[in-house]
Amino acid sequence: VNTRGCVVVAILAAAIAGCAPESPPAPEREDSAVVLMSVAADPTIALSVQFAVGSQDDPPGKEGLAFLTGEMLADAATEARSLDEILAALYPLAASYSMRVDVERSTLIGRVHRDNLDAYLELFTDSFLHPAFDADDFERVRSDAVNAIENELRFSSDEDLAKAALREFVFRGTGYAHSPEGTVAGLRAITLDDVREFYRRHYTAANVALGIGGGFDQALVARVEAALRELPSGEAQAAPAVEPAPITGRSAVLIDKPGADASISFGFPVDVHRGERDFYALWVANSWLGEHRNQSSHLFNVIREKRGLNYGDYSYIEAFPEGGQRSMPPVNVPRRTQLFEVWIRTLPNAQAPFALRAAVRELQLLVDNGLTAEDFELTRTFLKKYSLHFAETTSARLGYAMDDRFYGIDGDGHLARFRRTMDELTLEDVNAAIKRHLQVANLKIAIVTGDAANLRAVLASDEPTPITYATPKPDAALPLGVAAERITLVPVTEAFER
Amino acid sequence: MLTIRIGCTLGACAGPVAAALLGAWLVVTPLSSQENPDVKPILPYPTESRTLANGLTVIVIPMPSDGLATLWSIVRTGSRDEYEPGRSGFAHFFEHMMFRGTERYPGDIYNRIVTTIGASANAYTTDDHTAYHLSMATEDLEKVMELESDRFQNLSYAEAAFQTEAGAVYGEYRKSRTDPEFALYEEVMAAAFERHPYGHTTLGYERDIAAMPAMYGYSRTFFARYYRPENTVLLIAGDVTAATVLPLVEKYYGAWQRGYVAPQIPAEPEQTAERRIEVRYDGQTLPLLSIGYKLPVFDAANRTRVAADLFADLAFGETSEAYRQLVLEEQVVEDLDAGASYNRDPGLLDISVRIKDPSKVDYVLGVIDATIARFQATPPDAAKLADLQRRLRYGFLMGLQTPDAVAGRVTPFIALSGDLSGLDHLFATYAAITPADVHTAAGEYLRAEHRTVGVLRSRP
Repeated sequence: VNTRGCVVVAILAAAIAGCAPESPPAPEREDSAVVLMSVAADPTIALSVQFAVGSQDDPPGKEGLAFLTGEMLADAATEARSLDEILAALYPLAASYSMRVDVERSTLIGRVHRDNLDAYLELFTDSFLHPAFDADDFERVRSDAVNAIENELRFSSDEDLAKAALREFVFRGTGYAHSPEGTVAGLRAITLDDVREFYRRHYTAANVALGIGGGFDQALVARVEAALRELPSGEAQAAPAVEPAPITGRSAVLIDKPGADASISFGFPVDVHRGERDFYALWVANSWLGEHRNQSSHLFNVIREKRGLNYGDYSYIEAFPEGGQRSMPPVNVPRRTQLFEVWIRTLPNAQAPFALRAAVRELQLLVDNGLTAEDFELTRTFLKKYSLHFAETTSARLGYAMDDRFYGIDGDGHLARFRRTMDELTLEDVNAAIKRHLQVANLKIAIVTGDAANLRAVLASDEPTPITYATPKPDAALPLGVAAERITLVPVTEAFER
Repeated sequence: MLTIRIGCTLGACAGPVAAALLGAWLVVTPLSSQENPDVKPILPYPTESRTLANGLTVIVIPMPSDGLATLWSIVRTGSRDEYEPGRSGFAHFFEHMMFRGTERYPGDIYNRIVTTIGASANAYTTDDHTAYHLSMATEDLEKVMELESDRFQNLSYAEAAFQTEAGAVYGEYRKSRTDPEFALYEEVMAAAFERHPYGHTTLGYERDIAAMPAMYGYSRTFFARYYRPENTVLLIAGDVTAATVLPLVEKYYGAWQRGYVAPQIPAEPEQTAERRIEVRYDGQTLPLLSIGYKLPVFDAANRTRVAADLFADLAFGETSEAYRQLVLEEQVVEDLDAGASYNRDPGLLDISVRIKDPSKVDYVLGVIDATIARFQATPPDAAKLADLQRRLRYGFLMGLQTPDAVAGRVTPFIALSGDLSGLDHLFATYAAITPADVHTAAGEYLRAEHRTVGVLRSRP
């Protein structure tokens, strides 16, 4: 989805004056879009240069190529400067830039105080215009990427591991399956020439979009526009299809990790996107079921608040990477296909079957009964105000505006539409969206566990798994119906190897 | 877009009433920067600070924020205060219990109101303080203040709820312990501090976490001792004015009773010999090296003590010689980081390293020792120090993006002194530090007999 020409996003805030309509328009470009978000009161400037390339474009057997290419721009030398010279130049500015490589898009993100803009801008634009592709840098970023999978993903965070395992399980066979960081074998197979060729093919004017936010002036827009004209024209690349195999029934992958407690994710793809009325209706339902890191989450109340089984339990209808480190939804991770996903945080292995059954049961009750009028009113009231926190900073607002380009949302954008639609939705809209998009019959489940063999037997047996508490608790039980032959065990040392 | 409604819509701020309430403030605390002309305010916003008759300090930071405001309740109690055997982790556990409600607003009602308001609510616990923060539309500030003041004065929960929450706390420990950095940190702190409560992490020892369900009685004692107005600072930032906020604080917090009981925190004896520990990790990891040097207590006005943190960055930050050698050129290290504590009691200057080659641990330690020796022999380059001083100032200013971010930045310093004075002093001291100060800090503090060296490796 592309919007050509200049998109000016107005922030309707009394405290933030000087919005762009009074500025002269940015130079028209045939092959890119420019998003301008003037926030005159902001002493900093946010920059976003987004390329229409992501990990879905990794060639088979070279998973991680998009990621390494991004790292070779943002964390490596340029033709003019070594990396330590770049770091030394950025140091007094207290500024940096980084590349966010996601499935569909790679976004170079920077921010600087306007006092330091001149010194910063050359470093920022040099990073993507004149990368050196230094061999030592390549060895370093590749080694770091392999370590991030071999040691950190597999061993440092079981919750992230379970989420990654679910995505691989659901999207197997598509470009959405592997983590944006790649696989161990894929990273090891990539050469520096692969990176050069990937850069040449994808980092072009045909694939680029620019966003500028904060206290900038028209001269800056002209300077960055001039820099972008140095990109080769290139050709827009068609995004590969995302057609995961249909899910029939319930199946599970258990990551066998000796000594681990249980971390659980389950879900299925949903065909609903920002901008669509059903998306906002489903957001209301999902917020009630599992608002991220929020005590209003129904799953949180059933599993943590009433039973004290774990630290939290949430659900999602959009990608939410780094869920353990952020409280509000991320930007710059737009996707054509989304996953409905439930995240059950780490808990003792013995309680894993019960917690999983409880979560599936609550989802089933939501699908069967929908929201009550009271819950609907409470949740949409909550979201109208809570969504004000989604984009409190200029960088976040700019990110949402860039995401709007991806989703083809014109006008005042997703967040304004979000709040407006909250007023328009009816209970019937929400409950109809639940019926259209959510279900419990066809699920994929991923569990990281130190008790894989036993857990497989318990899940397949469908025997009740009551647990005992120090204090009386409400009952919850539901057979899962996962056939033994549909449960796969994967040793943790083999996860994301290929 | 929300309409900003402040002023008389908040009821108690009507002229005569407001004047009467303002008269109840016992102490008007001028900010440090107004006392000392060399100390300039670092925040680019006006601030007002008042102390109620009951000892509660209130700091208001008005700033443009698109109709949003944030309320932080900063209790100057953290895991530092867990000095009694078997009570480690209690400050953090208590942070959880604060969401269990009061008789007037039981937990589910509290949550329902916060949900209706659409507030972003959270809390965290550190060594030295526990912070509860809610970000909301300014028009909802009074309701939030009513809720917060109620739970801080009238917290009430049944033993069953207490025991249930202990399970959630154990779950938080479970998710953390798979991280090898956490595992090493836990052991290094235990080795470095033999008597002071900094020896345990904020989560506490696992054995104490497991025993928490039986400590209902102690939890009431903990609340009575520490959740008191003279041990708490309220910070309100955003689209607010002091004139409208301060009367509300008096209205809702004025009746809160004093009663703070200071903890009997044991002093850590002086360390006289290097300590070394090896930690085995039940998983796969690159070796981790952590070196902690004992520091004197933080003092924002003491140039040598503040220079310790600048030394850490100059010696081991990403523009340092050690970083260039170990991370960029030789590539034997993946991450190199260092920093000095800003704790209320004497803490550590910590150097943390993730080493790529397990056979190079001693080599990396040798490079670190040589780097320290070089700084002890020669003051750092003045231009590099000037770059760092500029970076510190711009880094701070760039972090002030939202009311919540401003509050998050200043809260650790409020926790130290109970007000904003330390923050302004700190930035004045940053600006005044010379290469000789960094040289002195390296010589005084980076002594082998004062350090604890921890190495974490995968269990064979």
